[in-house]
Amino acid sequence: MKRTPMQSLVLYGTVILLAALILFPVYWLLVTALSTSADLSQLPPSFWPENAQWQVFAKVWEERPIPTWLANSMLAAIGSVALSMVVSVMAGYALSRFSIRGGHSLGLFILTAKMLPATLLVIPLFSIFRSFGMIGSLWTLVIAHSTLIIPFTTWMLKGYFDTIPRELEQAAMVDGCSPMGAMLRVVLPVATPGLAATALYAFVLSWADYAYARTFLINAQGSWTANLGITTMRGEYTTDWNEISAAAVFVAVPIILIYLFLERYLVGGLTAGAEK
Amino acid sequence: MANISIRNVHKSYGAVEVLKPFSLEINEGEFIVLVGPSGCGKSTMLKILAGLEPASGGEIFLGEREVTDLAPGDRDIAMVFQNYALYPHLTVRQNIGFGLKMRGMPAAEIETRVAEVARTLEVEKYLDRRPKDLSGGQRQRVALGRAIVRQPQAFLMDEPLSNLDAKLRVHMRAEIGALHQRIGVTTVYVTHDQIEAMTMADRVVIMRDGVIQQIADPDTLFQRPDNLFVAGFIGSPGMNFLSAEVERDGGRAWIDVFGNRIEVDEARLAGASAVIAGIRPEHLKLGAGPASFQVRPSLVESLGSEKYVYFDGGPHTVAREDGEEDKSKGLIARLSHTGHMSEQDKLELSFDPSDLYLFDAKTEKALR
Ligand SMILES: Nc1ncnc2c1ncn2[C@@H]1O[C@H](COP(=O)(O)OP(=O)(O)OP(=O)(O)O)[C@@H](O)[C@H]1O
Ligand SMILES: [Mg+2]
Repeated sequence: MKRTPMQSLVLYGTVILLAALILFPVYWLLVTALSTSADLSQLPPSFWPENAQWQVFAKVWEERPIPTWLANSMLAAIGSVALSMVVSVMAGYALSRFSIRGGHSLGLFILTAKMLPATLLVIPLFSIFRSFGMIGSLWTLVIAHSTLIIPFTTWMLKGYFDTIPRELEQAAMVDGCSPMGAMLRVVLPVATPGLAATALYAFVLSWADYAYARTFLINAQGSWTANLGITTMRGEYTTDWNEISAAAVFVAVPIILIYLFLERYLVGGLTAGAEK
Repeated sequence: MANISIRNVHKSYGAVEVLKPFSLEINEGEFIVLVGPSGCGKSTMLKILAGLEPASGGEIFLGEREVTDLAPGDRDIAMVFQNYALYPHLTVRQNIGFGLKMRGMPAAEIETRVAEVARTLEVEKYLDRRPKDLSGGQRQRVALGRAIVRQPQAFLMDEPLSNLDAKLRVHMRAEIGALHQRIGVTTVYVTHDQIEAMTMADRVVIMRDGVIQQIADPDTLFQRPDNLFVAGFIGSPGMNFLSAEVERDGGRAWIDVFGNRIEVDEARLAGASAVIAGIRPEHLKLGAGPASFQVRPSLVESLGSEKYVYFDGGPHTVAREDGEEDKSKGLIARLSHTGHMSEQDKLELSFDPSDLYLFDAKTEKALR
């Protein structure tokens, strides 16, 4: 279908407006990082500091344990993604393919779990972890994040597996695969875009968490994640907003890089051509 | 290559029996077509043969081997799916070679076999493409290639042509026929297209609601249908049916067909008191004959060398259960007539009583 100039105008206008709306906070974060305290208190605010303080990044990187925080966040996120993906690939596949007795209610139950807010679950989780003596470990955070992530990813993957025709596995089985082999050799490769999107989603959920990290790790300074670490940069009497913003930029960069890297998997269905 | 022996196989999903006990001996190298209306259990039968669905009971033998409980990969059969089910993440070459690789064949041998099959099916040019970059006909060939490269004991095909356009379908039908002539592998082919069934099959198995209606070669099926369903299913346009009461007097019997009193052999009637008479559209002739009647056509379709004349058969008309034509058009005569013919004109049609098929109105079995 060809668009009329008017339609194009409306379409691009909307896209630009949306992008601006979404990108403005990111831009403002950068502006805040580059400004001096004086710049920041100035009214009206300037949209670009007169002499941008690029050295703030080096300063924050040296003075604060940013690399450790990032490494902890990364470890927690990668661990959560790995654990959640293993569990939810199998659970999602089973929910999609096998008619298990009570499978439907099980699916709905998982769906309910995903609707409960994280802040509500943090209290029971805390008492469970405490009774196991698990408070203060990064692995505890991995497990906690996974309990949050798995309901989401299981449903996402079930939905994705539902779109893959069963005949693909059947063909693979006739060709000599076991049911497990058919899943590993055919279904998972075909589901790559779905797996990538799901993994990314899981990563972001873990990366963006503050509540769980704050609850389980506050007394284990060596295990602080980036989000938790940044909040401790608020001083009792003064707060260097530019330094906090600079640290926040460091936290945002990995996510942006991952998006750029995974983009080609996220777009474009690989299943096209399986049928017809 | 092997014969297939299906012994009392049946299948239920929960309380619903979708396949009644089913027995069929398929000879080595035979081309068997399963045909029947949608939902009659054709695909289910094929999946049971492939091992993709367990049978609820019965046995399947492939040659001397019992395969009833073997996994699909251990049966040495290949299957072509309706939607082709090509592996979208693999190239055509990898798609065709996948089954060989799974069986642990050395890469060099896979390469030669794939190349050979690609040559046979004329897909050499596309070997490095992905399925999504192929046309429907090319995908169809790749799906066939994936099946024949393994040189299996038997082929199973589930409506492999139904996604192709009419012209390509006719072409691929001929190609599959030729392929079967050449490699002669025992084949079970599912379709709901009676033309495919009639043109390709050595023997046709007609199914309805999970029950075999008749197993016969195409000519027998057309000339000597076992029951009303088969008679109505085979033939295009389909057979015309009229209900008739049997009149008996002094040891002789008659039925009324289009106002003609037609004597029927009592032995043939086997005591039936009501019958359904069937007449093929091509057995109706223009003009007077042994038994004649007048009609006013409701529609005349000209196909060039012949005309399809639709007419109201009166209150005795019996609608076919599964005809391809629109039932509301009424009965149909297929006349070789090139002259002008219009809906207004009254026509005289005739038929030879010996061309009538008779079916018991209650059991729907053929009376011969
Ligand atoms: N997994 C299942 N659970 C319950 N019923 C099923 C299942 N699979 C098939 N059926 C039923 O079994 C019957 C036969 O289905 P089948 O797919 O064999 O029909 P078919 O003859 O291949 O039809 P079509 O020409 O439409 O492909 C249908 O009534 C169908 O609803
Ligand atoms: Mg089917």
